[in-house]
Amino acid sequence: MLDQKLSLEILKATARIASSTPHLDQILSQIIDVVKNKMNIDACSIFLIDDAEKVSLKAFSGYGVDETANLSLNMGQGITGWVARHKNTLALREAMQDPRFVFIPNMEEEQFQSMLSVPILREEQCIGVANVHTRDKRYFSPVEILVLETIADQVAGCISNALVYAKNQMMIKELSILYDVSLGAQSTLNPELGLWVILSGITRGEAGGFNRAILFTVEDGELIGTMGLGPDSPEDAQRIWTELDGEGKEYQIAQKMISEEEKDEYSKSNFNKFAKTLRYPLKENDNVLAEAALKRKIVHVENCAGHPLVSDEFCQTFGVDSFAAVPLTAHDEVLGVIFTDNRYNAKPITQTSLHLLARFAAHAGWVLENSRLISRLVATNRELLSMKDRLIETEKLSALGRLSAEVAHEIKNPIVSIGGFARRLKDKFMENHEASQNRQEEESALNYANIIFEETQKLERLLKDILTYPKTGDLNLEICNPDQLIQESLDAFKTLLLGQDVKIETHIQKDLSPALIDPIKIKQVINNILSNALESMPRGGKIKVSVYLVDSDKDEEQSFLTIHIEDSGGGIPDQALDNIFNPFFTTKKTGTGLGLSICRKIVENHGGTLRVENFKNKGVGVFILLPLKNSRDCTKKEHPSDGRPEIFFDEQT
Amino acid sequence: MKEKKKKKILIADDEDNIRFLYKEELEDEGYDVCLASDAEETLAMAREERPDLVTLDIKMPGMDGLELLGILKKENNDVPVILCSAYGSYKQDFRVWSSDAYVVKSADLKELKSTIKEILVSSGK
Repeated sequence: MLDQKLSLEILKATARIASSTPHLDQILSQIIDVVKNKMNIDACSIFLIDDAEKVSLKAFSGYGVDETANLSLNMGQGITGWVARHKNTLALREAMQDPRFVFIPNMEEEQFQSMLSVPILREEQCIGVANVHTRDKRYFSPVEILVLETIADQVAGCISNALVYAKNQMMIKELSILYDVSLGAQSTLNPELGLWVILSGITRGEAGGFNRAILFTVEDGELIGTMGLGPDSPEDAQRIWTELDGEGKEYQIAQKMISEEEKDEYSKSNFNKFAKTLRYPLKENDNVLAEAALKRKIVHVENCAGHPLVSDEFCQTFGVDSFAAVPLTAHDEVLGVIFTDNRYNAKPITQTSLHLLARFAAHAGWVLENSRLISRLVATNRELLSMKDRLIETEKLSALGRLSAEVAHEIKNPIVSIGGFARRLKDKFMENHEASQNRQEEESALNYANIIFEETQKLERLLKDILTYPKTGDLNLEICNPDQLIQESLDAFKTLLLGQDVKIETHIQKDLSPALIDPIKIKQVINNILSNALESMPRGGKIKVSVYLVDSDKDEEQSFLTIHIEDSGGGIPDQALDNIFNPFFTTKKTGTGLGLSICRKIVENHGGTLRVENFKNKGVGVFILLPLKNSRDCTKKEHPSDGRPEIFFDEQT
Repeated sequence: MKEKKKKKILIADDEDNIRFLYKEELEDEGYDVCLASDAEETLAMAREERPDLVTLDIKMPGMDGLELLGILKKENNDVPVILCSAYGSYKQDFRVWSSDAYVVKSADLKELKSTIKEILVSSGK
């Protein structure tokens, strides 16, 4: 029998145990030890009721139960079950005679005669049962009943504490996982690595705990499988779990969740390859992934068969019946979806793990968004840099241009006088040549003067090119008759043909409409190209000039005045062909190398193109194409008084 | 052909040698040539010598050729003026329009000579 002093001792001991540690298992077994040793009984056990209403044995002492026996009763089953259901204490002198008694194998309850069973109550709910048994047949005193009931209340308090403690621990763990994942994802600028960190957070046992995860990203109206993390097969899953077990429970997710090498290993896995083959249309009411993305909600499918947006094919592809999909968003924009399941351990997906998954997804969204922003930044930066380079180049050229124009101008006057007088010298010698006594000497002096004159001519040409180069941009547009323009160019050119065995053949299409061009500049272009042609034929040849209209293949309204100049000078050597338009490139002994590049600039400023066709060992054909759109929109009108055409411009053109 | 009175040409250029070259060349062509090295001198000569034609260098110290052109034309619009310059960019300057011709300087004076001839013929002098 239990006296008051002992009762108080027992309760003091159990209260101390209850407050000593938050670990429920330890508390229960220590309480049972105290009860069994001090209460003058033979066996003691504590059952707890779980969510599934199973009354399971948690701690015991004095029974023949195998340590590993996982004893579990239904509500209402046996005396313990009855107490659990009715929340009432039962004190039975002859327990086995009681109609509620049920024989439970392994427990060897039959060796005990009497039994006291009290419910463990918390907030009016029964959360467990505490039992004591005695071998001898006896009554339980009110004090004993009161003590056990008090202990049951203490246990209830401990369970509450333990639950709060476990919840706290869970939250701390979750926070630290999220911290580690976010640190891991942010510590790298490599978005791929960041996403691997997040996927591994989702799949690691101590974190998200999912078996597999696949990241889908939105691209052109489709969800494209981008990466997948998970075992390739059940065997692989077994291997990974064994390895992880070896690393111990306190496995650190660590500051850096995965390294570069691990990333490579992940990306080589078959599962990742499988993930990359997946693509689903991002359409409403099409598939469950699109649903998650478009509705921006977590979709948890517990049974594929009954789900309207999960096709059989989808089910077979992933090989699961139950899975979850979370959207990845950033700035209100859907960037992708994460699919995740527990294919290998078939663990149900709990609400808690879905919450954690949503948090991982939020991180993944930001990593994706970051990578998008970074790649845009990098591209913009690159563009800026190249723009800066171009600007510097342009500035250099323009400074050079200004400088050379200044120098050229200053040099011009002296050259004109040197050249002018050299020519006069030459002329003077020529006049006296016939009558002279010293023909030989005079001839060489004549030659010298000639050389000076010719050299200054070259210098003048160079200066002219340099002075024109920076100014090719300004056009003085006039309405010109192409026929006349060509004729004038050819007339000016004919003086150069004197003494050369070169023939010019012209084919000019009749009734060419007038063109809006800068006649001086276009004449300069024609003259330059004709000069090139002439210089390519020192032993004579033929130049063919054809002028005609060509319709644009892009725009029916557009046609081009085409000036086609062909020579028979043998063509341009291969190694020179690439450079003919580069300023200062020349193959001639006397050229500046500016001619063709100036020509092209002029033609392009007119909105036209200059094209060179090279026929090796035959000759060169140059096409000058000038757009006629402007002049076509001019209306020709016969003037009543003098019959000369007047030209009106359409304001819009 | 009947011997006509020699035409007189006034050459305005700040470069001594250019002036000399023009003088030699144009005298060979059968013109009377008088010279001026700046704007003031040009105006004085123009009033004094009454030339049939003036060639003006655009770039001169002090008053430049374009300004001078304006004054010359104001004083006597009948005397043709040819602008001479080391480069062609002045062709875009609207003040050039009041001149009778624009010639880019060159050691080869063919263009200048033929321009002078043309203008004298067309102006009926």
